[in-house]
Amino acid sequence: MKPIDLVQGTLDLLILKSIGGESLHGWAIARRIRQLSREVLQVQQGSLYPALHRLEDQGLIKATWGVSEQNRRAKFYSLTKAGQKRLDKEAAQWHRLASAITMVVSSA
Amino acid sequence: MTHWLTRIRNRLRAFTNLPSVDRDLDDEVMAHLEASAAEYEAAGLSRKAALDAARRDFGAVTQVMEECREVQRTPWLANIGRDGVFAWRLLKRSPGFAIAAVVTLALGLGANTAIYSVIRGVLLRPSPLGSFDRIVMLWETDRTSGTTHEPASVPDFLDYKARARTIDALAALMATEVNLTRPTADPERLLTLRASHEMLPMLGVSTVAGRGFLEQEDKPGASTIVLISQSLARRLFASPEAAVGRTLRLDEQPCAIVGVVPDTTDFGVLQILSTAAYSRSFADRGQAAHVDVWMPLQPNPETLPRTTHPIFVLGRLAPGATPAAAQAETSSIAADLEREFPVNRGRGANVELLSDVIFDPVRPTLYLLAAAVVVVLLIACVNVANLQLARGATRTQEVAIRSALGAGKARLFGQFMTESLVLTYIAAAAGVALAYASMKGLLALAPADVPRVSLVSLDGSVLGAALIMAAVVALTFGVLPALQARRVDLVTTLKDDGGGKGTAGPERKRVRGALVVAELAAAVMLLSGAGLLIRSFWNLQHVAPGFQPQGVLKAEYQLPAARYPANMRAWPNFPEHHAFARAVLARAAALPGVTNVAIAGNHPLDPGFTNSFRIIGREAEGASWPEISVRAVSPGYLQTVRLPLLRGRTLTDADSTGAAPVALINQTAAERFFAGRDPIGAQIRFWGIPRTIVGIVGNERIQGLSAPPPIAAYVSIFQAPSVTGAGVLLVRTSADPIALSNAVRGMFRDQDPLLAIFGIESLEQALSRSISQRRFAMLLVTAFAGVALLMAAIGVYGVFNYDVAVRRRELSIRLALGAARGSIVRLVVNHALVLIALALAIGVSAAFGFTTFLSSLLFGVEARDPVTMFGVAALLAVIGLLASALPAWRASRVDPSRTLRALD
Repeated sequence: MKPIDLVQGTLDLLILKSIGGESLHGWAIARRIRQLSREVLQVQQGSLYPALHRLEDQGLIKATWGVSEQNRRAKFYSLTKAGQKRLDKEAAQWHRLASAITMVVSSA
Repeated sequence: MTHWLTRIRNRLRAFTNLPSVDRDLDDEVMAHLEASAAEYEAAGLSRKAALDAARRDFGAVTQVMEECREVQRTPWLANIGRDGVFAWRLLKRSPGFAIAAVVTLALGLGANTAIYSVIRGVLLRPSPLGSFDRIVMLWETDRTSGTTHEPASVPDFLDYKARARTIDALAALMATEVNLTRPTADPERLLTLRASHEMLPMLGVSTVAGRGFLEQEDKPGASTIVLISQSLARRLFASPEAAVGRTLRLDEQPCAIVGVVPDTTDFGVLQILSTAAYSRSFADRGQAAHVDVWMPLQPNPETLPRTTHPIFVLGRLAPGATPAAAQAETSSIAADLEREFPVNRGRGANVELLSDVIFDPVRPTLYLLAAAVVVVLLIACVNVANLQLARGATRTQEVAIRSALGAGKARLFGQFMTESLVLTYIAAAAGVALAYASMKGLLALAPADVPRVSLVSLDGSVLGAALIMAAVVALTFGVLPALQARRVDLVTTLKDDGGGKGTAGPERKRVRGALVVAELAAAVMLLSGAGLLIRSFWNLQHVAPGFQPQGVLKAEYQLPAARYPANMRAWPNFPEHHAFARAVLARAAALPGVTNVAIAGNHPLDPGFTNSFRIIGREAEGASWPEISVRAVSPGYLQTVRLPLLRGRTLTDADSTGAAPVALINQTAAERFFAGRDPIGAQIRFWGIPRTIVGIVGNERIQGLSAPPPIAAYVSIFQAPSVTGAGVLLVRTSADPIALSNAVRGMFRDQDPLLAIFGIESLEQALSRSISQRRFAMLLVTAFAGVALLMAAIGVYGVFNYDVAVRRRELSIRLALGAARGSIVRLVVNHALVLIALALAIGVSAAFGFTTFLSSLLFGVEARDPVTMFGVAALLAVIGLLASALPAWRASRVDPSRTLRALD
């Protein structure tokens, strides 16, 4: 199956979720989303980085500089307290939305 | 909360440290590409193929980076910084445009800054008087003569003070001058106010050192004490504190200094004096007059009865009282006084706010100048907007590329606005420098009777106003090009090779046409104003004053009563006065180059005083006649000022103190009171003495060139010497009168070394100063109108030049197809004609509105004077046509084949 594009507005949720456990740099975030979705969700780099910068600007994630596996200076993103709250809220909303859509779509 | 801090820190860092932010972004992207490539390599691709793939996956790197930057910086902060740098580079690349725009805007902003600083210094600065807003002037009116601004009599003042309730404090003042004599210096003349003891507390003025007047010091006969100004105290005694307790010899009497008042205490005195229907005003002293001495008024109803009106009355409105209430109450008091005292018949009261008395005379001029500079600035804005538009058209390529690279519409708009701001602030700096440089000239030109004009300066508030003005200006002219830049059509623009094949888009052309109409119309307004003022000034200068000022020098003095006693019982036999006059006349006549000499109570441009009078045998008629100006002159006066004798004889030396009293009357008086009769031989009575009329003389415009000559009578100083000892020597010379100043001064010193001489100047100078406010307004408005016309001409030229440049392909095709060169010019000029006609229609109707508020500054010409309007319209049409025909003519000269080949 070909990877599908993201539903509008869900990229923030995916980013927040992917760095919930550990801090990651940009490419690793994209990889994590791909892996967790079993290669279904493909994040466009063109939207990933602006989104990261926007979330950082909004104070939902914070960045520290570290070194990547390739020995490169890289920016690692992790959740802030506000980001954790937002993640919880958006995840709950997503579950409600998804189950509602499932109900509608799978009704006979 | 903390994320706000991060956010602000990020933005500040992004703003202050652009290169490091860019490096961070680079690093972040590189890390990504390396990680991605590593994965491809692990899957078996070569290093190079892996990097290519990673790059392909990532997409347009620069666009992503730009989007990240957009997130990181607030547009209004960082973009302005970046755009500012960009704008600066752009301006450097097109210096012609930059210089034209900056010069245009600097002229507009500089003129506005200068005029605003004058308006602020004169009108807006807070008054130095504590209770200024509640102070009113109480004038007396006279229904017989129609006067509405007459000083009051002492008994009337005392009655108003006792009866008025809406005015809780009343004070009176009288202007005079005293001789200051010091052992170590020449005698000098000091402007003096005699003020009642209520004056300083009522105005809210406190002394710098010492005390003010006590009530008992204000009683007639009390000993002479004085207050002096801070600057006089500094000059004579080093400090105000040191001055208190010292003694000055004023008019040769010792006077104890009891206090020192601030220099600003005389605020408005000049305007009060010159508002009066008749009074000797300090303003004719030439330099900005400054009151140095305050004496107690000591109002004495015995020596100053109800028939004389020498004092100016000021009052403070009671809490809650309005000027209208005070007017109503004082009018009713005046009516009571009319019933109680027959000499008060016809007298009423007129209450005016002091601020109106002070500022009303200058408001029209200042508002006119403010309006003029705003119009100039508007034209400057339109011009620069036009330049921007023309440049914008050639920049469509750049705009298209920038939007293709991901610049949003808001971003482009911001960039254009930033360019306007950069341009304006450079211009504002130049404009402020221009204003600063022109300030001195402007103030030198300003008439001395403009209140506190000497305090005008470019201070912080003026600079702040200039900055705000510049921002408004940048918005005004920047918004249009910025809006147009947002509408660039990407595809067609990028397909075009940028060779200027296109024609000016119809919409852009319409906008530019509208701008041309706007600036021409604005120029019409300003030119009409200037035209009317020039005509008024010309009319005024061509008014015959009734005397010949050329070649006459005047020198004023006042004989101190101590050595020149004025014994009223012996009047007119004042031997000391007469001896002084004879001696001075003889000495002056002996000066080299002097052809005529005279002494008078007032020089020909000093309105002096008026008196009621009767014609013997026609007393009943005289009750409704106005007062007559009485001019005491020595026999040589007529020849000295070249006042023509129309009939009868002139005054001679035979008309001496003991001889039968005679008088001359002027033509106006003869026509008014002797229509159909012979005035010569009739007797006129004033000051209680009947005088035989022996001659009729021409009219002197003693109240100024713009006022019709009043009725006047001339008597010999030997038959009517001045009670106050005031006099003026008039000397006619065949050479330059100014060159005679020192000789005249020395001659007076030889005669009386203790006498202060003042007001030495030529009558021409005095005449020129009497119209200085009109000259000020006329010169400035004309200068502004000239600038406006020049800018409008440049604007029109620029627009049509551009229009022709854009159309050169079309015009060349027409030429190649056989169009006559003249028809090419006509094509362009026809378009210009439409715009000019439209501008004239709009401008002339706007000018009608603009010029009506000039009417108080006009003389001998209507605010809607058709000749002026026609002249302005013709001038503008010619200038507009020339400015548009020049580019058209040049376009018609080109070789069409070369143009067309070059374009392909």
